[in-house]
Amino acid sequence: MNIYFTIIVGSVFVNNFVLSQFLGICPFLGVSKKTNTALGMGFAVIFVMSLASVFTYVVNEFVLIKLHLEYMQTIAFILIIAALVQSVEIVIKKFSPSLYSALGVYLPLITTNCAVLGVAILNIQKAYNLLQSFLNGLFAGVGFTLAIVLLAGIRERIHPKNVPESFRGFPITLIAAALLSMGFSAFSGMFGIS
Amino acid sequence: MLLMAKLYVAILIPALVLVVIAAIFACVLAFLGRKLEVKRDEKIVQVESLLSGANCGGCGFAGCSAFAEALANGKADLSACNATSKANKDKIAEILGTVNEGEEMSFVVCCNGGSACEDKYDYHGYGDCASMEMLAGGRKACPVGCMGAGTCVKHCDHHACEICEKGFASINDARCTLCGKCAKSCPKGLIRKIPARAKVFVACSNHAKGKEVRSYCKAGCIGCGMCQRVCPNGAITVVDNLAVIDYSKCTGCGACAVKCPSKCIKTR
Repeated sequence: MNIYFTIIVGSVFVNNFVLSQFLGICPFLGVSKKTNTALGMGFAVIFVMSLASVFTYVVNEFVLIKLHLEYMQTIAFILIIAALVQSVEIVIKKFSPSLYSALGVYLPLITTNCAVLGVAILNIQKAYNLLQSFLNGLFAGVGFTLAIVLLAGIRERIHPKNVPESFRGFPITLIAAALLSMGFSAFSGMFGIS
Repeated sequence: MLLMAKLYVAILIPALVLVVIAAIFACVLAFLGRKLEVKRDEKIVQVESLLSGANCGGCGFAGCSAFAEALANGKADLSACNATSKANKDKIAEILGTVNEGEEMSFVVCCNGGSACEDKYDYHGYGDCASMEMLAGGRKACPVGCMGAGTCVKHCDHHACEICEKGFASINDARCTLCGKCAKSCPKGLIRKIPARAKVFVACSNHAKGKEVRSYCKAGCIGCGMCQRVCPNGAITVVDNLAVIDYSKCTGCGACAVKCPSKCIKTR
């Protein structure tokens, strides 16, 4: 099967970063109270993930491998991601103050978001080329956005309902997330992707 | 020797690579930061510098900086902040073009019971006033008596609340930043604001009839009206079996505190 199709469907549905790989749970729970902030966060993650995939690929291929420094992947990638997030923050602060205040503390948190580091490292592990890495990053971000927006939609509907007191807030959110994750597990094995 | 040199290279090159990558990003970030700098509103900066800077969160905003922004945008009221001094609030009001009507306040515990008030039951178990309150409205026979289990102490970040030896809470004005967390945490709502200049306050919150109050508390207000009679300025009235002080008339002479038979009007 076409490898690009496999990457796209695989990273959005089958190996969804949040719901089947359990990466990036912090913003998944933290910024999913309202659909529009969730969407904003999702776009920030898409942006950072695709850029990070490209940058980490370039640095890995042309610097780390050339100098036989593959063991420095983690630290070099964290450096790259942190710098990227900072620049994204500066840009958003300038051009969309409302998105900036809506994202709040979660934007800097993308710096240490394991989903972003995860996508960079998975690209290397699966030996993707530049275009494939970029696509994987982009659609992993899309998968993250899909998951967080779905959860935000569920939370918006749960919130006004009469939830038993002990389940209010995060407990019921975690249950909803678990059901969502079970739903997504139906995709596993589809299209022969594992 | 050769081995040592190789080792140095093996350490130096990776370090150098990292430094170069970091330096490139630092330059890019510095350039972006300069190019896309967002000018903060001068007004917000000034207001923030005048706020107390306690970052207590008592106003309901995420710290003084967020409160300053809300103030400048007219989304918050200056009275929401308890910690800032009156002088600074006046200056802020001047900057914002509004008038600061609030007076400097302080918090007092409106209960004088403690060991003078009978217990309804012995409380054994986990918890503080809040969990006691759930069990038949607290352990004190008085429905609005301080239970002395220290929920306010737990919520105070500044160690200003304490349970005194008589068994009720008291507030140390010198330490209090007026964040108001204790007042919100008290399940009986016994911690209230009075003007900071006030010399006397009514340390009881019970509206029951005198005989009933006497049956369980030796230190409660029985609504006898003695204070009302001795007050030279007519600042005290007994409303619904409980003395109420009108601080706009009170001069702080203290005559009421001397005459009060249950000693529930306290001087401070």
